[in-house]
Amino acid sequence: MMDSYIYVMVALLPLTASMVIFQANPYHALVARGILGAIAAMVYAILGAPDVALTEALVGTMLAVMLYAIAVRSSLVMRLGVLKAAQSLPEDGNAPQPSQADSSQLDILTSQFRQILDKHHMRLELIPYADAQTLRQALIEREVHTICLDRSHTALDLHSTANHHSDSASNPPYQTLTRIQRLYEILNEEIQSPLTSLNYVEVPEATPSLTNDQPVSEEVPL
Amino acid sequence: MLNVALIAMILALLIPIYEASRNQDIWQKMLALSSIASKTSILVLVISVLRDDWMIGVAAVIILSVGNAGLMLLAQTLKRMNDVVKE
Repeated sequence: MMDSYIYVMVALLPLTASMVIFQANPYHALVARGILGAIAAMVYAILGAPDVALTEALVGTMLAVMLYAIAVRSSLVMRLGVLKAAQSLPEDGNAPQPSQADSSQLDILTSQFRQILDKHHMRLELIPYADAQTLRQALIEREVHTICLDRSHTALDLHSTANHHSDSASNPPYQTLTRIQRLYEILNEEIQSPLTSLNYVEVPEATPSLTNDQPVSEEVPL
Repeated sequence: MLNVALIAMILALLIPIYEASRNQDIWQKMLALSSIASKTSILVLVISVLRDDWMIGVAAVIILSVGNAGLMLLAQTLKRMNDVVKE
């Protein structure tokens, strides 16, 4: 002899579960998972299982959602290495600043990257480096996924499978190198900017961080 | 009598669920989540009074207090993510 309200409450469970399933954005799906957890805990409690309800609320809703939030936050990100001089940092007041046009061009470029990555629910994280050499080194040592170089620093050949984005745009002021195949596909498909060219760089499997005594630039003349 | 109140509470529970499924802003969703978490706990408390079952009541109180802590943690994580994006 179940009461009539129990049927209504149990019907909420597939409703919120479908909300989780049809959510494309991972962060929104996490919040929907929290809603599902609250409803599920209620249903378990009124069906006479307070221990299961407590476990669902503590572990299923709180701990799992928190862990997933941290995992999604640290994985759905593109780390873009840029030159420190090109980025407009306020604390570099005495450092030799580049012309205002350079930094504003880089700002436009990063905002364009941000727009592209937003469609795939990704974040853009800018990581400044002191000079072009450490920037390339960071790409080889897998500290960053993508680097954005000034054209003046990249007047050298690319050893690996480099596909030029557009040959018609003769001299874009920036060159973007990525070592992730999927990122190259996403960016190559959608970037319309005349500010940069896009290349894919294959980084060798052996991490050179363990063999610091050997000069990496000989192995990979990037 | 209390059954009618329960049905009214379930209908009130449908409002934030609809809001969470429609609104695309993450903070509106968090708002709906907090609303739903509180409402479900209060519902379970009412049912525990209705059935005179203290076990369910204790579980509801713990869920009510812990749900807010989880919400605060999740909001903190999301806020820091948004800060990085805006930079």
